[in-house]
Amino acid sequence: MAGRPAPAVLRALMFALAVACAAAHAQPGADAIGERLAACAACHGEHGEGVAGAAYQPHLAGKPAGYLYAQLRHFRDGQRNNAQMTWLVRNMDDAWLREIAAYYAAQPPRTRPADDGETLTPAMRATAERLVLQGDPERDVPACSACHGQALTGLEPGIPALVGLPAEYIYTQLGNWRNGVRHADAPDCMAEVARSLAPTDLRAVSVWLSQQVAAPGARPAPAGSFTPARACGSLHHAGPP
Amino acid sequence: MKIGRGVIILAALVLPLLLLLAVVGGTLFARQGGFTPYRVPSGSTGPRPGAEPALLARGEYVARIGNCAGCHTRRGGEPFAGGRPFAGRWGTLYSSNLTPDAQAGIGSWSLAEFKHAMREGVSRDGVLYPAFPYAHFALLDDADLEALYAWLGTLPASASTPPANRLAFPAGWRPFQVLWRMLYYRPPNPRFGADMPAEWRRGRYLVDGLGHCGMCHSRRGPMQSLPDWGYLAGGRIPDSGWYAPPLDGSRLARYSAAQLADYLRSGTSAHGQAFGPMADVIYTSLRHLTRSDALAMAAFLQSVPPRAPMPAPPGEAAQAYVAPTRELYEQHCADCHGRDGRGKDGKYPPLVDAVSVSAPDPVDAVRLVLYGGAAPTTPGNPRPYSMPPFVQALDSADIAAIVNYIRVRFGQRPPTLTATDIDALHGIALD
Repeated sequence: MAGRPAPAVLRALMFALAVACAAAHAQPGADAIGERLAACAACHGEHGEGVAGAAYQPHLAGKPAGYLYAQLRHFRDGQRNNAQMTWLVRNMDDAWLREIAAYYAAQPPRTRPADDGETLTPAMRATAERLVLQGDPERDVPACSACHGQALTGLEPGIPALVGLPAEYIYTQLGNWRNGVRHADAPDCMAEVARSLAPTDLRAVSVWLSQQVAAPGARPAPAGSFTPARACGSLHHAGPP
Repeated sequence: MKIGRGVIILAALVLPLLLLLAVVGGTLFARQGGFTPYRVPSGSTGPRPGAEPALLARGEYVARIGNCAGCHTRRGGEPFAGGRPFAGRWGTLYSSNLTPDAQAGIGSWSLAEFKHAMREGVSRDGVLYPAFPYAHFALLDDADLEALYAWLGTLPASASTPPANRLAFPAGWRPFQVLWRMLYYRPPNPRFGADMPAEWRRGRYLVDGLGHCGMCHSRRGPMQSLPDWGYLAGGRIPDSGWYAPPLDGSRLARYSAAQLADYLRSGTSAHGQAFGPMADVIYTSLRHLTRSDALAMAAFLQSVPPRAPMPAPPGEAAQAYVAPTRELYEQHCADCHGRDGRGKDGKYPPLVDAVSVSAPDPVDAVRLVLYGGAAPTTPGNPRPYSMPPFVQALDSADIAAIVNYIRVRFGQRPPTLTATDIDALHGIALD
């Protein structure tokens, strides 16, 4: 009995070990998932914050995990089309895609405007502000803010923020929805919206959105905190377990 | 009587020629299998075998290791419903629907017809294109084919009809396939290796039969044929833009049998990670291998005698290649792969003697640098590391300088790449 540590000491040691393990897990460097995602970092930034001057690559940081997971699955399975993205995720299973989505969702959200230097004319501004904040009842188009939130910071788990994205990226996505190249889960509300608006409207909205800011650290609204204007398929994206 | 003499002279010349043609043609016809392949069994499906769990489990395993879905599923399409395009120099071929739909799929095929099509390469639709690996599936045994047939019969029927093939003459003309078979197809010898140990025979069955490894890893002869001299000898995979390495005892000597078996199931090893089409094959197929089957494949592959190395493409040495540049390597690659090219503790693969670095064909290395990649997720490697694309960060001359550097320094290959070579490899072909 003499050489055996007292149970209290043992418990303290176990606790210290557990804390050390947890700390090692949370710290970058130990088994940091970021290190495994060098391919993503090349275009989306090391923490998904986006890269300077990018016209087509969005930031990922702070977007809802359910939204990011759905996009990764869609690139893999053909509902979204970008050869580079499909190339990289084509042999990744759901569990790993969920983990990648959760990693970027947990990063500090990007709330500053895109730095792509697009110019907004007064006419474009008027069009965009009307469509984004009020929509167009005549064409049955809801306001962007009716689903993406008053502050355009998104809604968990499936609706992304619209702040900080390059104008060219937004415009391309709207065009892809319009042309049936990008699909969201049915009912695909964004396809309906994009088809109801003229390309000049889409352009004005894209540039205006790219120049918006959100409060520092503003995250997507919690799930269920408001009822979006449409019952879109994206509302049902499952977040990570 | 001049005409009569002319006819006799003509006949004396032509008849032996016709006779010779008949003898040669007859011999070639006999050697591609004679008339048997063209006698496609008919008859109704009859009662499908009952859904015995053991039979279905075996059928599912056969479908996975045979990687039926790899070709017969379109990205985003219904599983096994076909329609995946294969574009090549003769046009575009679409894979067929294997689901039990009576019209669009193979729901009205009898077991006998299914077995016949798999092993002889001829179905009710005519002679199948050699893109379908019947030269390999000829080795499949009755029990596996019966299990596969039963399992395919349990899939949800899909009414999806693949688009019609768009092939140029003569490839698009089905009877031409008979001529192709006479010239290039020889059924495999089922008795080959009959006196070898059971594990070796199982490995051969999986490599040369079900797994049809030679479709990528064998060097092609004329008209996409698979001649004996190219058996597992490595080469450009037809119309894919990737190179597959030779598989033989010398090339694979750096692996222990257990390491090679683990690589086949996990996609990663101390000697490298799967990329390109091999990552696809591991993700859709080989990660489901049992360990004993993986060991059998390893044992067989390590017994394959090496073939003559692939000759370097002519004229390369005369090109004005881009000078290999150590600085660019150290700036962009050394953080992960190390200044000495030895990689990093199981995370980033070594470049020293890596397949892409030491292959006679530099295409894989160029594609990996351009577009990056990731090993497949597998039970043995569920959270793979990845390689970033450099297509946006570096111009073609810099990529040529880097690939030339790694190939000279870590692969003992001469520098050959120019910026134009890199330009020509731009673009991702997904399916």
